[in-house]
Formats: sequence, C-alpha cells, structure tokens
Amino acid sequence: MTQEPVLEIRDVVKQYGDVRALGPVGISVREGEFLTLLGPSGCGKTTTLHIIAGLTNPTEGSVSMKGRDITALEPPQRDMGLVFQNYALFPHKTVFDNVAFGLRMRRVPKPEIKERVERVLEVVGLPGIGSRYPSELSGGQRQRVAVARAVVIEPSILLLDEPLSNLDAVLRKRMRLDLRNIQQRLGITTIFVTHDQDEAFEMSDRVILMNKGGIEQSGPPEEMYDRPESRFAAEFIGEANLVAGEVVEVGQGELKVKVAEAIFTAPAGKMTVAQGDRVTVMVRPERVEVSKTPISGGNTLQGKVSSRVFSGDQVSLTMRVTEDLELLCSKPSTALYRGFDIGDPVWISADDCWVLPRVDTRKGGAA
Amino acid sequence: MNTSGRLFSTFLFSPIGIVYLLFLLAPIGFFLSMSLFRYDAFELYVPALTTENFERVLTDGYYQEIIFRTLKIAFLTSLFSLLLGYPLAYFLARSRTQWRGILMFLVIAPLMSGIIVRTYGWIVLLGSDGAVNKTLISIGLIDQPVQILNTETAVLLALVHILMPYMVFPLFSSLASQDPDVERAAGTLGAGRIRTFLEVTLPLSRTGILMGSALVFTLSAGSVVTPALLGGKDVQMLGQQIYDLVLTTLNWPLASAVAFVLVLCQFSIIALYFRGGRHGPA
Amino acid sequence: MTTQQNSSGSSFHAARRSRITRQIVMGVTVTAIYAFLLTPILIIILSSFNTTSANTFPADGLSLQWYREFLESPSFLAAFQFSAWLGVVAAVGATVIGFLTAYGIIRYVGSYREVAQSIAMLPIMVPHILISISLLILLTVLPIPELAGLIIGHIIICLPFTVAGILASLDGVDPQLERAAWTLGASRLRILWEVVIPLVAPGLFSSLIFAFIISFGDVYIALFLSGPGMTTLPIEIFSYMQWESTPVIAAITTVQIIMIFGLGLIIERLVGLRQIMRI
Ligand SMILES: Nc1ncnc2c1ncn2[C@@H]1O[C@H](COP(=O)(O)OP(=O)(O)OP(=O)(O)O)[C@@H](O)[C@H]1O
Ligand SMILES: [Mg+2]
Repeated sequence: MTQEPVLEIRDVVKQYGDVRALGPVGISVREGEFLTLLGPSGCGKTTTLHIIAGLTNPTEGSVSMKGRDITALEPPQRDMGLVFQNYALFPHKTVFDNVAFGLRMRRVPKPEIKERVERVLEVVGLPGIGSRYPSELSGGQRQRVAVARAVVIEPSILLLDEPLSNLDAVLRKRMRLDLRNIQQRLGITTIFVTHDQDEAFEMSDRVILMNKGGIEQSGPPEEMYDRPESRFAAEFIGEANLVAGEVVEVGQGELKVKVAEAIFTAPAGKMTVAQGDRVTVMVRPERVEVSKTPISGGNTLQGKVSSRVFSGDQVSLTMRVTEDLELLCSKPSTALYRGFDIGDPVWISADDCWVLPRVDTRKGGAA
Repeated sequence: MNTSGRLFSTFLFSPIGIVYLLFLLAPIGFFLSMSLFRYDAFELYVPALTTENFERVLTDGYYQEIIFRTLKIAFLTSLFSLLLGYPLAYFLARSRTQWRGILMFLVIAPLMSGIIVRTYGWIVLLGSDGAVNKTLISIGLIDQPVQILNTETAVLLALVHILMPYMVFPLFSSLASQDPDVERAAGTLGAGRIRTFLEVTLPLSRTGILMGSALVFTLSAGSVVTPALLGGKDVQMLGQQIYDLVLTTLNWPLASAVAFVLVLCQFSIIALYFRGGRHGPA
Repeated sequence: MTTQQNSSGSSFHAARRSRITRQIVMGVTVTAIYAFLLTPILIIILSSFNTTSANTFPADGLSLQWYREFLESPSFLAAFQFSAWLGVVAAVGATVIGFLTAYGIIRYVGSYREVAQSIAMLPIMVPHILISISLLILLTVLPIPELAGLIIGHIIICLPFTVAGILASLDGVDPQLERAAWTLGASRLRILWEVVIPLVAPGLFSSLIFAFIISFGDVYIALFLSGPGMTTLPIEIFSYMQWESTPVIAAITTVQIIMIFGLGLIIERLVGLRQIMRI
C-alpha cells in the first residue's frame, strides 16, 4: 500500500551567494517513519533540516506537508519539533519551563501544561527534575530534555540534528536505543541527522545518504549496505574492497567480470553494462572467505597474507593477490582465523560480491 | 529574508532611523546649509544665497587666528592623548595583574564624571592659589604664583585629561584583540623588545591609533566649556565663537559658516589620518 | 615574558635584570599617567571640605559647610533633581532604542554589520555642540517642546554607547536559542521578550546606568537646549562658575563623583567595564 507522504520536499536548492550548499534534492517522508540523513560534514544535512523546519528559506523548490505547500510558512506556523545539535536549552529557564515553552506559546491552559510536561519528562526517563536548570544536568539528561521539549508539542514531525554527537561513546550507544524507543512509543514521524553510519543503521527504517549537497542514494539500511550504487556509498557505509574489473559477459540478471586472472559472477543490479565495460567490484571484508587449502570454482583468487591485525573480537587479514590488488578480510577471532600468519599462501573466495560503475581508474585494493 | 522578517527588521531599525534622520542628520544639514543664507537682524536669516558668511570667516584675521588656534590645540590634544594613552592601553591590554578591573575602572570613571567636574578640578589645581602654584612655591622654584589659568597650556592640559579615555578605548580594543603569540613569534625570530614593538605591535594597532586620534581631534576641536572656563578671553576657540554667535549675537548664518569650517577641518584631518595610514593591512 | 631557553647563568641574570628594569619603567609610567588622570578629581574631593571660600589647596581646615550650602541652595537642588530625572528618561530611551538596534545589527544585517555599527556610532563622530545647535534650530522650525528636544538630544549622545555595550552582550547569546524558541512557536517579538532580553539583562541594566551617567554629565546638549525650569546640573554649575567659584561646586561635584563611582562599580559587577571599552 502506498501512503501519501507526510512531508515532501521537491527540487530544493539552497544557494549562499555563488556557493551551492544544497540541492537540488527531493525527499518524501512517510507517516511514522524513522528516516535518517547520513553524510559527511558539510554535505548539507543541517541545511536540509532547517529548510524543513522553516529556519532557512530554500533558494528554489518547495516543501509540503500532508499535501499543503508550506514553503512560505515560518517556523511557528509549521508543526515541527527540532532538537539542536547543542540542544539549545534556554539556560535561564528551568527544565519545566524549557519543556513548557512550546505549550505556552500555543496557549495551552496551565493545568494541562503541567500535566503534559510531567508526562513527557517521564517518557524520556527524567521524572522529577523539572525544577533544575540546564546547567545542573549531565549531557545525557540535557539531550533528553531537548527531546522532551521538542515532542511535548506533539509535532507532526520530529527533527533531530546530530543529537548524540556531544555524548560520550557509552552514553551514545545507550541513547540510540532510548531515542528509538521514545520514537516508537510516540509513533512520531522522525528525521534524524547523523554522520555516523552505525547510528543510522541501528535506528532507521530508511537512510538517505548525502554527499556534497546532493542525495547519493536512499533505502533501507540492508539495501544500502549490500547494494551501494556508487563508490562513495560503498566507502562511506562500512568497509569495502573495491576491485577493478572488466565485464566479459552479460547474462540473465547476472554479470561475469574478469578480476585479475579470475572470472567473478555477480548480480547485475540496476546497472546497464555491456561487454568490455570497466567496472568496480565490491566485496565486504566480512564476506571474503579465506582458506589455507585450495578452493575451486568461480569468484576465487589466490594470494599471500601481507598483514594481520588482531583487534579482540576480530582478526583482519590483508591479502596480496597481484602487484596492485590487495583484499581485506575481517573474520571472527576464532582459532581458525587466528591461525593465519603473514606470508601464508591463501585461497580467497568472494561469492557475495556487487558491481559498481567504475568512477576512477584507481587500482583495486582494500578501501 | 521574507516579508515578516523584513517587517520585523524595519521595526528594529526604525526608532534609531527616525531619531538619527529627523533629529541628527536633517537638522545638521539644515543648520550647515544656513551658512549660505543672509543674516537679517529681524528675521535672523533670509534664505537668499550668499557667500558673504564664508568670506567673512575666511578673510577676517580674527577668525583666522581662532581657526588656527583651534586646529593647533586639537592637534596637540590628540598627540598628547596618544602619547599618554598608548602606554596605558598597552599596559591594560597586556597586564595580568589582578588589579586590572579596577585600573580599567579608573580610566573610565573620569570619563563618566562629565566635563564640568573635570574642568573644575583643573581650575582648583591651576589657579593662583591652586595646588600647582603652591607646590612650586613651597619647593622654592618660584616665589610668585605664575599665571597658568587663562592660557593655552591650561586648556591643553585639561583637554588631554578630559579626552584621553576616548583615545584609550580604541587603542585598548585593537591591542587586546591582537594575538600575543605574534609578539612572541617576533621575539623567537630574534627581534628585540623595541624592534618587536615598532615592527609588530605598533603597525597592528594602527586602526586603534587612527580611530582614537580622529575621535579626540573631533571632540577637542568642538569643545566650548573647557576653553571658556580655563582659557578665558584670550584663548578663544571655534566652539565658543559658534556658541556666542548662536546665543548672544544671534547671527545664525555666520555661526553656521563657522561650524561648517569646523566640520570641514575635522573631516579633512580625519581623511588625512586615514589616507596617511592606509598603507599595509588594516 | 619568556627567557631564552639556552641561557647560561649570567645571561639569565641579565635577562632577569632587564625584565625587572622594564617592569619598573612601565610601572612608573603607568602610575604617572594614573596620577595625571586622577589628581584633578582627588583635588575636588579634598577642596570640598575647605573652610575658606577660595579655591585654595591644601585646605585650611575641615568643614562640611559647602555641602550644607549645596543642600540649602534651591537652584542647585532643583538642577540636581532635573538632571537625575532627565538622566533616567534618556537612559531608558537610549537603552530601548539601543537594544532594538543592536539586536537588528547582530541578527538582521548579515555581513553589513560593520557598516551598520559605524552608522550607529555617528553621534560620537560629530561635535556635540553641532548636534545641540542643530536641534535648537529644528525646534524653532518644528512645533516640538524644548523638553522633548533635550531628551532626544541626550538619547542621541547616549546611543553609540548603549548600542556598543548591548552588542557586546548580544555577542554572547547563542543564536540557536532563538531558533529553538522560533520552532517551538514563539513569534519574533516573543523571542525577544522570552529569550533574548532575560539573557542580556545584565548588559541592558549596565547600559541603562552608563547612559544615565552620560546624560547626567552632559554639558553640550543642555548648553543650547535647557530653558527656564529645565536647567541641568552641569549647566547650573557652568553658569555659576562664570561669575564665581567657591567650594560649593566642589561639594556638588564630589556628590556627583561618588554617585558615578558607585554606579560604575555596579556596571563592573554586572558585565565588567571591559565591554564599555569596546566602542
Ligand atoms: N550561512 C551560510 N553561509 C554560507 N555557507 C553556508 C552557510 N550555512 C551553511 N553553509 C555551507 O553549506 C554547506 C552545508 O552546510 P550544513 O551545515 O548543512 O552541513 P552539515 O551536513 O550539517 O555538516 P555538519 O555535519 O558539519 O553539521 C557547507 O558547505 C557550509 O559551509
Ligand atoms: Mg550540521
């Protein structure tokens, strides 16, 4: 069933003088969805969020909510809750007054304000701290207050701008789950901004990968990971071996690609290629199989272990296949894989691979 | 910006806009343009174009002397303010002493106490029974009180005292915003203290020097009260002329011409300062 | 003050000696400049306790007679009261207008901030006597009461200082807070009231005090614009001094100095006087 999107931005461009910060981009958000904007610093995530919230006017394009064009509306007329990267809690107001602020602006009666603020503070796990000032809270508590302040007004859409980036690593992991729980409990449509791929994958229903002011690719986390459509997507999301290859045969939903001296079989994907085209083959390091004994069949290569990195739960092996082809392989830290040593001859198989268009002529290798 | 943003910024700027346009720029423009009007004993001024006011101001030896004196005093005031204000601003910007707050307060406090208060202080100090004369007599340097009041020296002393804080502010901001590492870097490159000061600190504080000098020059050239009280009849400056012409003689067109000359002098001096100092980075 | 790392013992002592010499020279210079700045003020305070009527110094004896004379002089008292009243009105006006302007400059002019700031500083670039005369002449043309002219004149000369001071305070306000309030539904005006003003309240209060002080000490605007029944204290003193000069002036100015020092200390407490020095 296709639902009408709650929010839709079309052909939005943001120009600062001669510099194009964003666009053109189009995004549509479904009811109740947890959507993540993922991308490196400066790619336009905050700009997108601020255009949605009405804090920034787009140079071109439109924003509409539930079918109504809201491009010209100012933030107070839009129904959005925004959580800022540095939380932006009012330092001169108590936690209660911070959270109550949006309700007061909406002229909610006092007793109801009190009830709703207390309820939301409970939802975010901070009951009974209403009389404190933001300066008397820990980083994690401030973050929750910021979320509480944004959701208490029951906005149609919750916008979160890297809300976890100011927290320490441990708290960050815990808050991911908490945030996702709060979101699901309230059933609120959410757009989340981050440059952290793990965060994006753990929390979202759908991820939009941005780069240099444009959208690189979007889809559910698994799809983004398994079937990146560009070298940038493959490299930004997780680790990838990117290997140069040449198409030797185009079959039914399948491609045969020559990599080094071997022939690889890979799914054709959305790409249209012809025989003789140069492509890039991607293999995720955890899907590379290694063996000390010969393996036969397709998608196999032969090489030598050139480096070995032990990191507790994992062992990473780099294997040199030819002069300019190296493959990285990450494996669980079991006796089997710990047994590989530098210099050992190995047979490598990469059944689970994916073909990308060749963007640059860089020779393959561990990315 | 959208309509309501523009509306709001109009709301923010219109009070100052109205005040400055209606009560500052328009009246000053009107007053200065009066210099081209004809003086009339009954109507005060008749809007008939004439250059007679300017001719009078520029050719009359009386006015020439006053213009020259005003420029001289204003120049010397800004020079001495700079000489005294620079070490003070440098000290305030670089010192790490715990007394810094109080020391800054002591620079601002005289400024806040108003012109009359400070001018009065100088009358008490410089009078024939004043502290200066008494001290000089008691240490035997002189045996008769010397005349200090009603001289240019008295006016200059008081003006430097009154206006020096205006020199210290811009100097302080430009010195305080300098990265002290730049001076240290010059030190590590082998420049001595004086060399570092001349080649690094001084050029970098040029904006402050220009701002301060222009400000002090303007304010001293336009002073009325201090020369009136400390300079007496003999040390007339342009400000007093304007005052007398406006309130006593009621010759507004001539007052306007004198004021015009004053403003012109100020602006050309300011322009000169900034032109002379325009080389190199700001 | 860093000394060279590789200094041997004797050059270390030489460096130390030259540093001490430098500090002494600096100390003496700065002390002398302060003496120059403060002596006239100290002299006034001391001579206000004089017994004789001449402006002699040192005093011949101690008395409070000049303070009594001040308190018994209806014209000085009236002038003092009028100046205080005028100072409050001008300070409120200059602070309100200064706040709106400073906020506009910091949030609504973008990269034209420098230009806007210089325009706001205009009145300190123009001789005050010119401002005052021009206003006087405007009053002969337009039907504006003299009192209004005086108040406006004082607001004009205070504005550069209130704008600069409040700008400095606003620089410390995180613009995200205003954005946050905006997304929560507050109108632009409401944001000022709920977020910005509370955050810069100390700056606003010190701007009020500073403007009051400037207005209270002004001579030039009042020189042309004060009329009968609206004579400010400096003008009253000025006209008195043109005829005679007794320590009653010292007593009045001492009262004024003490008041201004007190107010100045409040500013220092609130925002630090450093902010005022950033004109
Ligand atoms: N006010 C502005 N003026 C000019 N350029 C701007 C402005 N705001 C943002 N930009 C530019 O627009 C681009 C996108 O900025 P944006 O803040 O959206 O990035 P981001 O993806 O949120 O980055 P980060 O992860 O660092 O927060 C950047 O290159 C930035 O330099
Ligand atoms: Mg951002």
